[in-house]
Amino acid sequence: MKKTLVGAAMLATMGAAQAADLGDVNAPIKLAINEWTGQHVSTHIAGEMLKKAGYKVEYTTAGYMNMYQAMADGDLHGAMEIWSSNVSEQYGKMKDAGQVEELSDLGLAAREGIAYPAHVEAMCPGLPAWEALKACSAKFATAETLPMGRLVDYPADWGTPGADRMKGLELPFKAVPAGSEGALVTEIRAATEKKSPLLVTFWQPHWAMSKFDMKFVALPAGEAACYEDASWGPNPNATSDCDFLPSRIFKAGWPGIKDKWPAAYEILKNYRISTEQQQPLMGMVDVDGKKVEDVVAGWMAANEGVWKPIVDAATK
Amino acid sequence: MLTAIFRESGARAAGLSLLAGVICWILVPYVSWLTVWPTAWTLPTTQWIGGGVGWFLELMKPTGRGLAYLLEFPMDWTRLTLVNTPWPMTIGLVTALGWYIGGWRLSALGAVGLAFVLASGYWNESMSTLSLVAISVPLALVIGGAIGLLANEYPRFKGPVQSVLDVMQTIPTFAYLTPLLVLFGFGPVVGLIASAIYAAPPMARNVILGLERVDPEVREAAIMSGGTRTQQLFQVEIPTASQQIMVGVNQCLMAALSMVIIAAVIGGFNDIGWEVLLTMRKAQFGQALLAGLVIVVFAVVIDRMSGALAQQRQQHDKRVVWGLIVLGIVASLLTWGQLPNVSDYAFFDPSAEYVDRSLGAFTAANGAALDGIKNGAMFYMLLPLRIGLDDAVLTFTWGFDWTAGMTLGLFAVAFAVGLLLAWRGHVVGGILTVVAVGILHTGVSQLPWPFVMVGIGAVAWVSGGRRLSIICVAMLVMILLSDLWERSLLSLYLCGAAVFACAVLGALTGLLCAVSPLAWRIVQPICDMLQTIPLFVFLIPVLMFFQIGEFSAFLAIIAYAIVPMVRYTRHGLTTTPEDLIEAAVSSGATGPQIMREVRIPFAAPTILLGLNQTILYAFAMLVIAALIGTTGLGQSIYLALGKADVGLGLAAGAAMAMLAMIADRLVQGFADEQRKALGLNG
Repeated sequence: MKKTLVGAAMLATMGAAQAADLGDVNAPIKLAINEWTGQHVSTHIAGEMLKKAGYKVEYTTAGYMNMYQAMADGDLHGAMEIWSSNVSEQYGKMKDAGQVEELSDLGLAAREGIAYPAHVEAMCPGLPAWEALKACSAKFATAETLPMGRLVDYPADWGTPGADRMKGLELPFKAVPAGSEGALVTEIRAATEKKSPLLVTFWQPHWAMSKFDMKFVALPAGEAACYEDASWGPNPNATSDCDFLPSRIFKAGWPGIKDKWPAAYEILKNYRISTEQQQPLMGMVDVDGKKVEDVVAGWMAANEGVWKPIVDAATK
Repeated sequence: MLTAIFRESGARAAGLSLLAGVICWILVPYVSWLTVWPTAWTLPTTQWIGGGVGWFLELMKPTGRGLAYLLEFPMDWTRLTLVNTPWPMTIGLVTALGWYIGGWRLSALGAVGLAFVLASGYWNESMSTLSLVAISVPLALVIGGAIGLLANEYPRFKGPVQSVLDVMQTIPTFAYLTPLLVLFGFGPVVGLIASAIYAAPPMARNVILGLERVDPEVREAAIMSGGTRTQQLFQVEIPTASQQIMVGVNQCLMAALSMVIIAAVIGGFNDIGWEVLLTMRKAQFGQALLAGLVIVVFAVVIDRMSGALAQQRQQHDKRVVWGLIVLGIVASLLTWGQLPNVSDYAFFDPSAEYVDRSLGAFTAANGAALDGIKNGAMFYMLLPLRIGLDDAVLTFTWGFDWTAGMTLGLFAVAFAVGLLLAWRGHVVGGILTVVAVGILHTGVSQLPWPFVMVGIGAVAWVSGGRRLSIICVAMLVMILLSDLWERSLLSLYLCGAAVFACAVLGALTGLLCAVSPLAWRIVQPICDMLQTIPLFVFLIPVLMFFQIGEFSAFLAIIAYAIVPMVRYTRHGLTTTPEDLIEAAVSSGATGPQIMREVRIPFAAPTILLGLNQTILYAFAMLVIAALIGTTGLGQSIYLALGKADVGLGLAAGAAMAMLAMIADRLVQGFADEQRKALGLNG
């Protein structure tokens, strides 16, 4: 049932698509492979769709933070999963200068938040309500943050959303930047193994959310007004006293795609994948140890009704 | 002995530091800009650098892109050749090469090493990595060799060349990654160039050293036989210096290999470094360790083989070489098309999972004890060092609050000890005791800048004279004006604490290894591994045990920087000339006495050189430690990388290089003095 719904949603977005020229089918389209599995799944599905349309596709590994120069130069042609929550400033600048082009939203429903492993609920009764954190902050304290509790925040180059929230909500927590995604995941893993308290800024879809049974703290609902108007929210004197705004996950590419490969441009622009579709595929790779290529090939074979209309609309 | 040499200038320098400290101490409560340099007084250096470099990059871009385009061909060819050669053939060739260079030992090493790589399932990724090294090393050899020859032919360039080499080695690659990407475009070529930049200096240094050491008589013979300068150089001097130059080749190979992880950070091809990054991101220690060990295996094979080239060697039977090659060809032909895909071998996956699970179990079982270790180190060591006793001693850390009375008491004791020392003739020691207590009370990250400048300037004066003193202070002023002062002090504090720990632990380990060959047999492979494995791998267990923070970063830095201290201490202690020891023995000295009176003083210059390398390694590791979540210059470099801010990246990198160079010059100055005092030269 869900599958047909998604298919229908895809068909609906496709209404605008028009059949286009294939363009230069001999030159390979290079899609960026970044450092996380979900992105590999999203990218391989897009790549396989392009292949079905008759293109050559190359999957090129690329560092997520510094791949935009390559995209502006035409050395990379598409990045399928860019998160607005930690996109580098370079992207914004290059997009404004017309050096990279934003294609469209990918369709994943992302959520960021202040999270904790489920066992922490027993240590801090009242969770997931955020007010509970006021009373039990001391349980989260470590040598670096005493007497305040410790919040493991995003790496400094992604911004300091956790710290902003603690300040806005006047929670007695000190934010410690993690340094890297690996460090964040290691913290979660260690806290789960040790059954120790942990509060961390995190996001989903991410394999660690389900593997380590993570939960989000229920913060006051996030609204744009909360970030501009101090009087909004529980703290009348501060902004950022609410939950994260939903982050966007989108696709971007080299501005030359639409001229060189017009049909590919249509396919990439209309391609969508939902969290429900992506998550099980990620699990097959990370938990069952299968190869991305095999997992995606299996999905493509079983879900022709989902992707074929997009390819057909662009090419026929 | 040391104090005797420096009595005069040393006492003056120490006194000056103390005076500056006291003045700052009195003024700080009234003059806030002594500790926090006002932003309004800083120069927009980062913007200037950003603008200037940006303009230069645009100018050079076509050349850079052209060069990158050209370099891509040999790299692609090498990679395709390596990946498509059947593995029995590759293993046969490497085994044959091992035999040719060093007989059955190296041949067995090559065979076992490559078999390990094959069984790990990372064969294709490794071949990609190897193709990068195969192109970057010749490039580095040519660049390094040319720099070395230049310095040799035009001695007035020698000074500047040394500084350039220092900068090439100490400025972190991450700091100039963004400009490299603009200049050379995207892909493995950028990693190749970065690794060539890092690997060229050891070659240049060894070429310079080798040519310097050519016997004057040999030179004169060449001149007298009427050769032109080129003939003298290439037919006489370079062949004579060839052994030293081969040491350079060996060091160059190792340096290039240690940089493969940087190529992976940029991406562009599927190499072994990328596997390390992927597994690291998932916090899979076992798998990351496996991928890291593949790099270690390559490093060990390449190191031993190229190291053997640098030594005189005997001839080994050529027939075995051909036999091994033929065996490789025959095996390849017999199995042609029947071998399973190399990526499907995964013999070590169960072990990797086991290691990973054990790590988890260990963490779970010892959580409380690990927290205890961490809290102890933080409360009683790192925190006081960073923010000073007056801020670090609180009820929930030490159990009581610091009071003004305690400050008074502490300084009274310090002055008493200082006076006592001065009374007994150790004037320098006495003054330094008071200064050290003052630093501990204030905390390194809160030291007033005039005190740091005067202190370092004075130490530089003692170590290397007026010129060094001026250079050091000038570098510090540049850091201050660039608004990087606070971050630099944080880096300085973390590095200082780590170097101190390395010096103590490393010297003790080195001493143990010097007296016990068994200990060295255990420690040596650990040292090899620590130096070549991508350090990202060890961030996982350190983080599991001790969480994000300074203590984890402190441990990670020690793991890497302790190696030279151990190696040089052992080397220095085991190479005492026999006649000195015999003289000591014949005058009736016992073992411990010989160690204390003969071997340690004789080894002091070598040990100081080890300390110097430890300092440079510690600074190099700061950037990696920032992945754990330290603040300071390392973090600035990542921030700059994320924003593609060329100016901030280069400025922070330069500040780091400057701090490392100041520390390096100071230690070298003292090492020279010690060498002169011992009557050694060079």
